[in-house]
Amino acid sequence: MPNTRDQKIQAEAKRLLQDGVVDVVIGFQKGTLPYKMQPCFISRADEVAKLTLNGLCSNNLAVYLNHWPKGEKTAIIVRGCESRAIQTLVLENRHARENLYLIGVPCIGILDLQKIGQQELQPVLAVQEEGDQVRVTFGNGEKLFKRNEALHDACLHCNHPQPLNADVVIDEAGLFEDGSFDKSYLHAFRNLSAKKRNEVFRAEAERCIRCYACREACPMCYCEECFVNHSRPQWIDSTIAPSGQQGWHIIRAFHQTGRCVSCGACERACPMNIKMTYLTDLLNQDMAAEYGFEAGLDAAAAPPFLTLGEDKGKFTGEQEEDHAN
Amino acid sequence: MPTKWISRKDLKKLPDQWLKQYDVYAPIQNGHELAFQLVKESAQIVWDVPSNPRYPAKSLFLPQSEVLMSYDGILHSVEKVERPKVLFGLHPCDARAIRLLDHALVDEQNPDEYWKSKRQSTIIVSTACISPDESCFCTAVGGSPFNTADSDALIVEVEDEFCVYVLTEKGGVLFSKLPDAEDAQREKVEKLTKKVEAGMPKAFPKKKLHDNLLASFETDFWKEVSQSCLGCGVCTFLCPSCFCFDIADETVRKERVRNWDSCMFRTYSLEASGHNPRPTKMERTRQRVMHKFVYWVDLVGEIGCTGCGRCVKYCPVNIDIRAIAQDALHREFEGMKK
Amino acid sequence: MKNCYEPFPMHIERVVVETTDATLKSFELTFDRKEDCAEFFEKYNPGQFCQLSIFGKGEAPIGIASAAWEGNFVRFTVQKMGKFTSAIHAMRAGDPIGMRGPLGNGFPLGDWKGLHLLVIGGGCAFSTLYAMTKHILHPSHRAEYGEITALYGTRNSGLCLYKPVIEEWHNRDDMVVHQAIDVPEENWKYHVGFVPAVLEEIAPSPRNTVAVLCGPPAMTKFTLPVLTKLAFPPERIYTSLEKRMKCGVGHCGRCNIGHKYVCKDGPVFTLKELQELPNEI
Repeated sequence: MPNTRDQKIQAEAKRLLQDGVVDVVIGFQKGTLPYKMQPCFISRADEVAKLTLNGLCSNNLAVYLNHWPKGEKTAIIVRGCESRAIQTLVLENRHARENLYLIGVPCIGILDLQKIGQQELQPVLAVQEEGDQVRVTFGNGEKLFKRNEALHDACLHCNHPQPLNADVVIDEAGLFEDGSFDKSYLHAFRNLSAKKRNEVFRAEAERCIRCYACREACPMCYCEECFVNHSRPQWIDSTIAPSGQQGWHIIRAFHQTGRCVSCGACERACPMNIKMTYLTDLLNQDMAAEYGFEAGLDAAAAPPFLTLGEDKGKFTGEQEEDHAN
Repeated sequence: MPTKWISRKDLKKLPDQWLKQYDVYAPIQNGHELAFQLVKESAQIVWDVPSNPRYPAKSLFLPQSEVLMSYDGILHSVEKVERPKVLFGLHPCDARAIRLLDHALVDEQNPDEYWKSKRQSTIIVSTACISPDESCFCTAVGGSPFNTADSDALIVEVEDEFCVYVLTEKGGVLFSKLPDAEDAQREKVEKLTKKVEAGMPKAFPKKKLHDNLLASFETDFWKEVSQSCLGCGVCTFLCPSCFCFDIADETVRKERVRNWDSCMFRTYSLEASGHNPRPTKMERTRQRVMHKFVYWVDLVGEIGCTGCGRCVKYCPVNIDIRAIAQDALHREFEGMKK
Repeated sequence: MKNCYEPFPMHIERVVVETTDATLKSFELTFDRKEDCAEFFEKYNPGQFCQLSIFGKGEAPIGIASAAWEGNFVRFTVQKMGKFTSAIHAMRAGDPIGMRGPLGNGFPLGDWKGLHLLVIGGGCAFSTLYAMTKHILHPSHRAEYGEITALYGTRNSGLCLYKPVIEEWHNRDDMVVHQAIDVPEENWKYHVGFVPAVLEEIAPSPRNTVAVLCGPPAMTKFTLPVLTKLAFPPERIYTSLEKRMKCGVGHCGRCNIGHKYVCKDGPVFTLKELQELPNEI
């Protein structure tokens, strides 16, 4: 009998492949460094033992569906954010739900190695998850962290860690229940003066090296031609001058309005450790306030900006006034 | 060239001397990260660099964005007199990459003067890498944590003192007043070198890797290898030996600039007609790996990867160029020369 | 500082609308500075290209379509396609423009002395072949080469470039010109059919002959096997490649095929050279 989370995932993957329910299972496997996991694509039942899911699985696997052959029967291992991303992609007609088999796993949160490394000013060499604790090896020794301290901010702010609309849910407890966290950090940010907020934004954006890891790691960034590559007209400065860096980050965020599922994959992919989710979370908060909409929660509700017509919805734009200063 | 010896205390004072004549760039703490930046005083320098600073030192010679020309009806070159510089504290893998880039950017017919002038004005003082980490593999690709080949001087820390290998006349200027190392001290360094190198990976068989990769060119190997690739530019931007750039016009500032570009980007090789010789991430991943392990070898006889480990460490999906090379070495591809 | 990225300041002297659909125009550029002119003609070899430069629109690599003896100007034939080429199509005589070059290797005319030439062109890629043929036809060069056979295909007669000169070529007794269009037209005197089929039909002899082929990728792809079938050895078949380029001098990394850069090591390669490179055109 399978007993661990990984074994249960493997057993389900094996069944799906053996019975021909799907052609491939998208999940994670052990990576080549002791603190890295790697997305993997399993198409043979005798390879399912590779599959694992732990706090080092930092990507949003839904991103792979964007360049995926549409007809292929595909199983994908989904946590809360991945299931919401897929729901949004299906609503945006990127993928047919009937070709997907979602293996839901209650989320245990994703570790933020950059955050841990920064606290110690030392690179992380290895990570061992031990229940509600995390053992981290640095160049100068080992340290034990409470799991909550080591989690990525997006996971700490996540209200929906449970997979939604999955075809099967692995019977294991997640780290949090839905609705256990609030986004009070956003209120704190809104309450800053406009000047202060701008300072925060500038300080984050100025580290940008325009590698677009944030874009490529995001399931929602699937445009054939990104605005930043558009040359007729050229929308923003091509260089790493502040105008180009800020232009990229602000427009990227706006394109996510009502679509971002707050998974934080963008931040975890960023080699320069730039904070981005505070922008999309703010926009999402506006969408919730104005339209009562949250991306990926309802399989039938299309994002407001996809359906917005002259007679539908209203956006007053008044909210910002209330919070300034 | 002489080998010198210096105490930790004295070494830490040296950059203050250099600062009188040179701009000194060295690893300093910038926010939470180490970065090669202009130093104001010795005290800022981080001496015990735990691993390679994330953003590569190539940026001091080939800045990520650089103004090439300004426009006032016609384009004029931006002529800048480079101040004399010391680049201090990079590891031999990064120094090797800079020397490799000389091949890419400086040829007799059309030297890149922007690169050349920065190179000529800079003295490179490397520090030996005495504690390589899990992602390091310089020895697999023809380098060594103690490599003396590509710097003007190399500093090795031994038991809280430092041995200075003066490697060029240019480098000698900075260390002329130091005493020569004694035989016993030299022996200590040699012992340490052997010890650290012994813990490092073995060299890839360069020729076999070259031939296997060429034979793999049109196989599904690359589909497998690239399947998880996201197509971002992390590997190439942080790579110390990647040099591809784009040229763009910034009309508001009236400048023609160049920006780092990446063969991993969809738009990189897209032609105006819509044709793209590298239409998917498979061809793009293949290009990155082939460039390092095949094309560089064809051009200059050595592997174009210096084993610094940045792409391995910072790839968001853990695509590991070492693993790709190992995998290619152990497979049989059709049409392979036996 | 001699900056390899700095264009010569030039002016457009003349614009010729080449085709009835106006998608192809020729631009004749003159030099603003004498020394640039001298530098250019000292280096120029037919088959080379230049980076044309319009600030705000960037640069584009365009093959040189004039022979040096034609005068102190440089001709480029440009197909309207993207951002840059649309911009140049909107320009008129008297407008300023930038130019870097000549770039690339060009045709090895020295090696071809004493040999017959088979010149095969299609579409706007014919421009560099035009320059080369003009160069060779000049009285001071003509005797150095054997027979010249040209095969030039366009989709229809309206798309034929350099019409007056090609008409003259038909009347010359020191060369044979075959023209082809894809579908029949009234009053068309020459071949009808795609270039590979017409080539098979005229079946030129490979004896002491060099074949030079420049055309759109599809034409090149299907014509190379015909040349091989006609027993042209791969080292006697030359073609010119096009790739996305930025710097034009082998630094920016973009236009490689294997370890060769099309901008610096090409754009002219023999079939033999291409066969030794990875298949990534």
